[in-house]
Amino acid sequence: MDSRDTILKKLKANKPEFIALPKINLDIFDENIDMVKEFIRKVEVAGGKVFEVTDNKEVLSKTQEAFPDTKVNFTNLDDSGFFNTIDYETLKNPHKLNDLDVLVLESTLGVAENGAVWLTDNDIPVRVIPFITKHLVLVLPKENIVPYMHQAYNALDPEVLDYGIFISGPSKTADIEQSLVIGAQGAMSMTVFLV
Amino acid sequence: MSHSKLAGIFNKDEKKVDWHDKALWFVRHKRDLSVHEVKGWEELRNLGHGIKAHTLSHLDVYLEQFEANALKNGVQVHWAANGDEHNQIVHGILKENHAKKVVKSKSMLTEECHLNPFLEANDIEVIDTDLGERIVQLAKEQPSHIVLPAIHKNKLEVDELFQEHLGTKPCNGDPQYLTGEARKHLREKFIHADAAITGVNFAIAENGGFVVCTNEGNADMGAHLAAVHIACMGVEKIIPKQEHLGVFLRLLARSATGQPITTYSSHFRKPRKDTKMHIVIVDNGRSEQLSRPDFRASLHCIRCGACMNTCPIYRRSGGHSYDATIPGPIGSILSPGKDLTKYSTLPFASTLCGSCSDVCPVKIDIHTQLYKWRQIIGKETPQPFIKKKSMAAMGKIFSKPSLYGKVGAVAHWALRTLPKSLINSWPNIWGKTRDLPVGHKQSFDQWYKERENNKKDDQK
Ligand code: SF4
Repeated sequence: MDSRDTILKKLKANKPEFIALPKINLDIFDENIDMVKEFIRKVEVAGGKVFEVTDNKEVLSKTQEAFPDTKVNFTNLDDSGFFNTIDYETLKNPHKLNDLDVLVLESTLGVAENGAVWLTDNDIPVRVIPFITKHLVLVLPKENIVPYMHQAYNALDPEVLDYGIFISGPSKTADIEQSLVIGAQGAMSMTVFLV
Repeated sequence: MSHSKLAGIFNKDEKKVDWHDKALWFVRHKRDLSVHEVKGWEELRNLGHGIKAHTLSHLDVYLEQFEANALKNGVQVHWAANGDEHNQIVHGILKENHAKKVVKSKSMLTEECHLNPFLEANDIEVIDTDLGERIVQLAKEQPSHIVLPAIHKNKLEVDELFQEHLGTKPCNGDPQYLTGEARKHLREKFIHADAAITGVNFAIAENGGFVVCTNEGNADMGAHLAAVHIACMGVEKIIPKQEHLGVFLRLLARSATGQPITTYSSHFRKPRKDTKMHIVIVDNGRSEQLSRPDFRASLHCIRCGACMNTCPIYRRSGGHSYDATIPGPIGSILSPGKDLTKYSTLPFASTLCGSCSDVCPVKIDIHTQLYKWRQIIGKETPQPFIKKKSMAAMGKIFSKPSLYGKVGAVAHWALRTLPKSLINSWPNIWGKTRDLPVGHKQSFDQWYKERENNKKDDQK
C-alpha cells in the first residue's frame, strides 16, 4: 500500500465521531462601521497611504507627483500611454523587472477591518510584479469596500480563482530586535487611491 | 537535555532574558489591543475551534476532496507518511526539474522534517528567505519561535553575522541598514532560484487552493519567479471551505502580532503558465495524535505563536530550551506525542496558569493537556529518585492533617532559622534556582483559630 492510502486509512480509523460544522452568523460581528473611514485608518496603521480622488486621470497625475524621478513605470489603467515606460511584452520576462519603480493596478475589492486590498490574475498581468515593484499603487472604487473578511469571501467565487492576494500595506519585517522596518522582500511603499 | 538544564543555559545572560521576556510580553500586549477591537472575538474563537474540530472528524474525506480538486487545477499532489519520505519527495521533484538553487519561505513543517540538511547533503542550495529564518540559518541554528524565528538574537549578533556572511559594514546593529542589505542579498537569490518551497497556512478542500501568509512578501517573490513551486503541508492544514478563511484570517495575525491581517495573504490555486506546482501532504505522527482523545485538539493549532508570547516560562527560558521544532506550550503538548522519553520534561515547563489556553485563537485547552501529559509521564517514564521519594513523603503528610500541622511548624521554624546553604542542600533541587520565602511565626491555621478566639472574646 502506498503512503497515500496508508495515511488516509489511519486518519479514517483514528478520527473522532462526526462533529457538525458550525454555521457562521454574521450578525454577531456587525458594528455598523463607517467603512471608508475604517479602511483608511487600517491602511495607514499598516504603513500605507490613502488618497480620495475623482478619476483615474487624477490617480496618475498624483502618482507622478508623489514619485517624480522614477525611471520604470507601468500601469494597466486605460489611456495611460504617457505613464508607461515599459510595455506588456517586457513584463512577460519578470526576471527583467528588478528595476520596476512604480506599478499602478486596479482592484475590485477592499476590506475595512484590516485595510486589505484584493488582486487576482485578472488585475495583475504578471504575478510577481506587485511584489517586485518598489512602489505599489492601487486604485479601488469606494463602493467596493466591504466591512469584514466574511463579506469579502462571500464576494469571491471559490471556483473562479486561479491566484489571488490580499495586500495590506507595504512589505515589512521586525525580525531584527523587534524594530519595525518597512520594505522587506516586497514593495517598499503602498498607496491606495479611492475613486 | 532536560528543559530546565537548557533553560539554565539561556538564563546565563540575564540582560538578554529580560529583553526577551519584555519583547514577547509587548507582542502579547499588541495582541490584546487588536483583539479587543473586534466585536464578537470570543464567538470568532468558538468558530475557529468548531470548524477545526469538525474538520478533524472528517479529515480523510476532506483530504481526498482537496486532492481531487488540486489535481483538477493542474497541481501535482504527493503524500508522505513521515519526514524522510517528505524529504525524498521534495528532492525527487527538484531532481526531475534539474533544480539546484532553492528559495524557501517559512514552513515549520520543513523544519520538522529537517529538509534543509537533507537537500544540502544532496548538493542543493537552500536559502531561507524570511529575514528571521535567514538570520538563524546563517547562524546555523534553529528558529526559537514559530513567528519570530530570531527573537533570541540581538541586533549586534545580527550585525556580526551579516558582516561575516553578507559582507556588510559594521553598523552597530542598525535594523534599517541590515534589513536593506538582506533585501539586496535575497533579491539575487529570488531572481536566480530554480524552485521555490513554501509552507501552507490553510488548504481549502472545496477548491483545492491553499493560502500562505507573510509580512515580507518572500513566499510570493519565490513562488512567482521560480519555474517550480512546492508547497508542503501537514494533514491538519485542511479547512472545508473558502468562506472559513474569513474566520481564520481574522484570528491569525491578530493573535500572532496584533496586526489585523498579515501584509500578504496569498491564495494559490493554479500554477502560472509554463510552470509547475506541487503539494506534499505530510502525516509524520499527526494521525497518531488524532487517535488520542485527550490530545487531538492540539491539531487545531494555526501556528500563531500567541501561547509562546504569553507563557511566563517560554518568555524566560527561550525557544531553544524546548529542543523541538515547535517550542512553547503548544510544542510541549505536541512533542511528547512523538517521543515521550525525549520530551518528558516539556509538560513540566509550565506553571499551568492557563494563559496559553486563554489567548489561543482556536481554543485549544493547552494547559489541561499539559496536565494530562504529566499524569502519563509520571506513570510511564522513570522519575528521579529524589523526586519520587519526596513526592511520596509529601503525599503522606498531606493526607494527615495533624502530621501536616506539625511538619509545617518545623518547616516555618527551619525557614526562619537555618542558613540558606542548608535549606537548599542537594535533596532540595527545587531550591537550586529559587529562593524560599522567610518562614512565618504562625501558620494560617493558628492565625485563623486565634482570630476566631479573639472574635469570641470581643463578643463577650
Ligand atoms: S496553540 Fe493556539 S496559541 Fe499556540 S500557536 Fe497554536 S493556535 Fe496559536
